[in-house]
Parts: sequence; structure tokens; C-alpha cells
Amino acid sequence: MHALHDEGVELIFGYPGGAALHIYDAIFRQDKINHILVRHEQGATHAADGYARATGKPGVVLVTSGPGATNAITGIATAFMDSIPMVVISGQVASHLIGTDAFQETDMIGVSRPVVKHSYTVFDAKDIPRIVKEAFYVATSGRPGPVVIDIPKDMTAPENLFDYIYPEKANIRSYNPPVNPDQNQIKRAVAEILSAKKPVIYAGGGAIASNAERELFQLNKILDAPVTNTLMGLGVYPATHERFLGMLGMHGTYQANMAMHNADLIIAIGARFDDRITNNPSKFSPGAKVIHLDVDHSSVSKIIEANIAIFGQVKNSLQAMIDLLNQSLDKYNKDDLKEWHLQIAQWKSLHGLNYEMYKDESDAHPILPQAVVQHVYNVTNGNAYVTSDVGQHQMFAAQYYHFDKPRRWINSGGLGTMGFGLPAAMGVKFAFPNEEVVCITGEGSIQMCIQELSTCLQYNLPIKIININNEALGMVKQWQDMNYGGRHSESTYQDSLPDFVKLAESYGHVGIKVEKNSDLKNALEKAFSMKDRLVFVDVYVDPAEHVYPMLVANNSLEDMWLSKDKKT
Amino acid sequence: MIKRKLILIMENKPGALVRVVGLFHQRGYNIESLHVDPVDDFSSYKFIEEKLETKFKENEISRLTIQTLVSDSLMRQILRQLNKLIDVIAVSNEETTYLKGVLLDENLL
Ligand SMILES: Cc1ncc(C[n+]2csc(CCOP(=O)(O)OP(=O)(O)O)c2C)c(N)n1
Ligand SMILES: [Mg+2]
Repeated sequence: MHALHDEGVELIFGYPGGAALHIYDAIFRQDKINHILVRHEQGATHAADGYARATGKPGVVLVTSGPGATNAITGIATAFMDSIPMVVISGQVASHLIGTDAFQETDMIGVSRPVVKHSYTVFDAKDIPRIVKEAFYVATSGRPGPVVIDIPKDMTAPENLFDYIYPEKANIRSYNPPVNPDQNQIKRAVAEILSAKKPVIYAGGGAIASNAERELFQLNKILDAPVTNTLMGLGVYPATHERFLGMLGMHGTYQANMAMHNADLIIAIGARFDDRITNNPSKFSPGAKVIHLDVDHSSVSKIIEANIAIFGQVKNSLQAMIDLLNQSLDKYNKDDLKEWHLQIAQWKSLHGLNYEMYKDESDAHPILPQAVVQHVYNVTNGNAYVTSDVGQHQMFAAQYYHFDKPRRWINSGGLGTMGFGLPAAMGVKFAFPNEEVVCITGEGSIQMCIQELSTCLQYNLPIKIININNEALGMVKQWQDMNYGGRHSESTYQDSLPDFVKLAESYGHVGIKVEKNSDLKNALEKAFSMKDRLVFVDVYVDPAEHVYPMLVANNSLEDMWLSKDKKT
Repeated sequence: MIKRKLILIMENKPGALVRVVGLFHQRGYNIESLHVDPVDDFSSYKFIEEKLETKFKENEISRLTIQTLVSDSLMRQILRQLNKLIDVIAVSNEETTYLKGVLLDENLL
């Protein structure tokens, strides 16, 4: 506890149990660190993760051995896939019992190994301060990620005393992530940029992790290039800016995917050319050179070969590019991009987001899920922290909530973990109690961590939950509609859904049910006016709706489904 | 696919070897053979000591030799993934050496 306090930790999410009891007793006997008791260890990891994504500070989790530790795995894997800084402390059976199949013994280091950035076992209590220091350093530096510290029970026994000194600095000789870029590479990149006619800036979660929003904005003040963000990068460039193309990839906008495909230069910033972005890599953007800025060597030229690789904190690399560009301004003319912008504007007018183009909100029609997100956007003035789960609702939220600031869109992009949204929203609310925090979820996902409604009551967290209820595992159903002849195998459950209003009420919260277009706006306004209550808004939407655009599998970024019967 | 030899210098810490082997398994690379030795003669690793501003002590590091069947492009990816493991100090194949944060003879571009 001392070490955590000295590290600056203010908040721990956890759940007690035998192997962690010494630590829990220490928590009881101090008042500097706040411990939040969740209802399931998965909730603890997602809450810590949400806290980390919103603040940029590492999330901290404490769980017991065995089932406590294994319950935390999904949340650790979620953080790992999205490079989120997190430190997970797991209790372990006492040293002399390790390897004996003792009660609640699990090889946590082994189980978590493929989904952590690094892990530590405490073999000697004296090492605790050093290990804690190193764990936080590893979790937060370079490409961030989760770190596990497994602590056998005897290591935290109160009689196990030692001279406590908290190290000022972590010193790990075999770990040295790049910080500043190679100036030669910056020169080469700037030369490429100066001669590009159809550049696109493609920024991802790494740009957010590096807090590079200002540098990115400044760079594009000079370049005036179109910008697209990945699902993980939303908000790092203002969505309402005229140069913003929207998200790209699987459910990206028509203009973003078209621009990427036809670009002559892609400036990739903290993005990793994931398969949801590239579609078939061999057909990806055939005429583009690639400049790739990243902190992680192994992310560059993994899927798409980079012509110029720039390693370092992308914030610093961008600043270096800006500095050099500022000396070459006479060689750059924004007007050279005019034709490119015209082309993009034409794409945009051809196929903008469907709902924005053809909305109909009369009661003759069922509520469309896109409408729900758009109204939430309006009611919250685009300023909320929005967490989400996984499915169609997540894609609608990403498409129709326009994020102007980073760290406001909080979702599980890499692992796609249903159940993430509610506990993540708790983590955000703890970090920013005075900000509006909304969880846009689906009736499938919300049921995966619904128990956290109880945590929200205990700590009085007035989150707003918007349940886009299509009475189905909508995204699964969409794939079945498109690829499996409409055979809805195990993706519907209309008759067995809970009454979410009563469910919310039974946890001591407010529930509102919405079934008609004409009620939607009022219901949302009412929900958001209840500042100190958690409100669960259960909105029944058209179950037949699909997410578009959608990339046609194994093709290029130009090949998209634009609606149920229209392909590019 | 050709047979390649990789040499790793890594911290002799619990779990370090499992992480290396696990990485091969997880990323779908195959191990043909594997050999681990403790290092007690540091004379060939002076350059590492200098670069990392450290002094190796007895029993602190081990040398791992791995033979693997891979393509060239995969080779680079494996080197980088290995280099990323926190207990790995340096890794090389016949042409390239990746030393923490420093790529010697980087032939990426
Ligand atoms: C834990 C977990 N299990 C399964 C999946 C696969 N999956 C992806 S989307 C989806 C349906 C989600 O349903 P719902 O939350 O109602 O969202 P909708 O698509 O209907 O908006 C499923 C089952 C997943 N992403 N995560
Ligand atoms: Mg659903």
C-alpha cells in the first residue's frame, strides 16, 4: 500500500479473497488510497481500464488468487489489445504451497502471459517497492500495456517487515523504448510530404496514448490534408473539422475508405494497419507510399510495408516534423491539394452516412439506432464521455457521435469485449465526477456485466445508460443476414429479455422505456436532466437495421456495401 | 522458408525463457531446436555493456540459441517481437542485431 501511494495511486478497483486479505487489511488501516469494491473482477479491470483511457493515468486492480485472478483475464486482455496502461495485483497462495494445487491456486503468471506487457512474481517482500516502481514504469512507457504483479500471501504478511525505501526511478537495463525520432527519417518524411498530391493522415490509438492531439492539429494546420481516425483514434482530430473524413475501415465512411485507397501518401500515426482497417492487405491502397510513426518497432511493416519508419513517441516525432516543415513553408502550397479536396467532397456527397442522408423520424417508422446516437449527441452537446460495448450499437456510436476531443470515446477496439461499457463508464465517472458519462450499449452486451449496477448504487455514480435494444445479438445477426442466407443461428432471444426498467429500479436506479420516435428526444432530455441519478434508458429500435458502409471481405478499401442492396 | 539461427542474450530471470518460447507459439512461429547456456565469459558482450551502461555479473544473463524455419519478412518480425520482450537484452540473426532501443545494421528501409 505504501508503494502504491508513493507511486501516486489514488484509486484501486478490486475484490477481496483469501490470498489478498493481508493487503485488504492494510487498505482498511489507511486513508490515502480509495478502494472501489466491484461486483465481479472483470468489472474491476474494465473500470480501471476506463479510468486509464479517460485520464491517461494507469488503472490499478487488486484481486485474489485463483478465480479472482482468472476473472480478471478478460479485462487484462482487453487492455493489452488496446495498449492501455494498467497494473494488476493478484494475490497468490503462500510461497510454500505454490505448485501443490493448493486451494485457489492458479498459475496467474502463466495464464496471463500472452496478454500482458510484462509480469512479476514477488519472491522476497523486500523487492515489493522496486517491483511496483518497475511495473508502473513498464505499464505507462513506450507502448503502454497491462502489467501483472503476483504476490504470494506470505509476502504481504504483517510480520514480514523490511526497511522500506521507494525507488525514485525504475532502472531496467533490458527495456528502453524509443522516445525521440531519428532526424534523418524526419527529413525523408518531410521531403515526401512536400511532394505529395493526395496525402491522407491516418491516426490511431497510439496518437491518443502519446497525447499528440495538439501536434497533430498543428501539423495539419500546415498541411491541410484530409484526416481519418481508426476506431481507437476517434477524437484525436476534431470530428467536426472540415478536413475530417470520419472513421475508416470495416464500418468506416465512404469518403475515408475511398481517400485511403486512392491516396499517394499515407501518414500513419500511432496506428497499426489492423485487418479491420486494411481489408485484404495485398489490395490495400495500391498507389500510396507509407510514412509510419510509432513507438513500437514491431508494429511497423508488420502488415503494410512502410517506406519511411519513424520510431519514437509520436508526439515528439510530429513535433520534429512540424519544426522541419516550418523551415520549408516556401516549398509547400496548400492549394496544390485543391483537386484532392474536391474529389473527397464529391465522394462525401455521393454516399455520406446513410442515416444523416435519409432520416425519417415519424411514428410510422420504428426508431432507428442511428437516431438514438444522434439525439444523445445533441442532448449532451457532443461533450460527453461515451463508453460503449461491442456490436452494431458500438459502430453506430462511433459513426454518429462526433468526438472533438481525445479520451472521450472509450471502447474495446482490439479485443471487442462485450461487457466493457458499464464498468468502463464507472471508471470514467470516478475520474471525472462532474462530467457527463454515457454508456451506449446493446441489450446483449449490457447483460455481461450488469451486476455493476450495484457498484454504481454503492458509490452513487450517476451514469446514463442508453440501451439500444434490438432484441438480438445484432452484429452477429447482420453477418448471418449477409453471409449465411439469413439463418439466425443462436442470435435472437426476444421472449426472454428482462424488463430493463424494473431491473434498473431493483438496483435502486431510474429506468425509462422508449418505443416511439416521438418519445425519444423527451426521454433522453429527461434522463440527462436527472443529474444525480443513474438512468437506464431502454430504447427499442428497428431490429432489421444493419451497419453500413461495410467492407466487402477480402477486397480493397474501395469495395463496400453501402446498404442492404447496394455495393460500390 | 529457410532454416535460420537466432541468438538471444537475456536476463536470467524466472519466466524469461517461457516468454520467449511462448512468443514463438503465440505468433505461430516454429522452433526447430533450442539451447540455453549461462554466460560466464562476458568478453564478447562488452559492446552491450557499453551501450546499456551496465556491468554484467555472474549468473545474471543467459545465451539462447534457437533454430527456426521462416521466411525473410517473418524473420524481421520475429526479431522485433523478441526485442520487445522486456527480459531480452539483445537478439540477432546472421545479418542484424537488435539491441534494446538500438537497431544495429537496421536494413528496414
Ligand atoms: C464477450 C463476447 N462474446 C461474444 C462476442 C461476439 N459478438 C460480437 S457483437 C455481438 C452481439 C452483441 O449484441 P448486442 O450487445 O445486443 O449489440 P448489437 O449488435 O445488437 O447492437 C457478439 C455476440 C463478443 N464480441 N464478446
Ligand atoms: Mg442487440
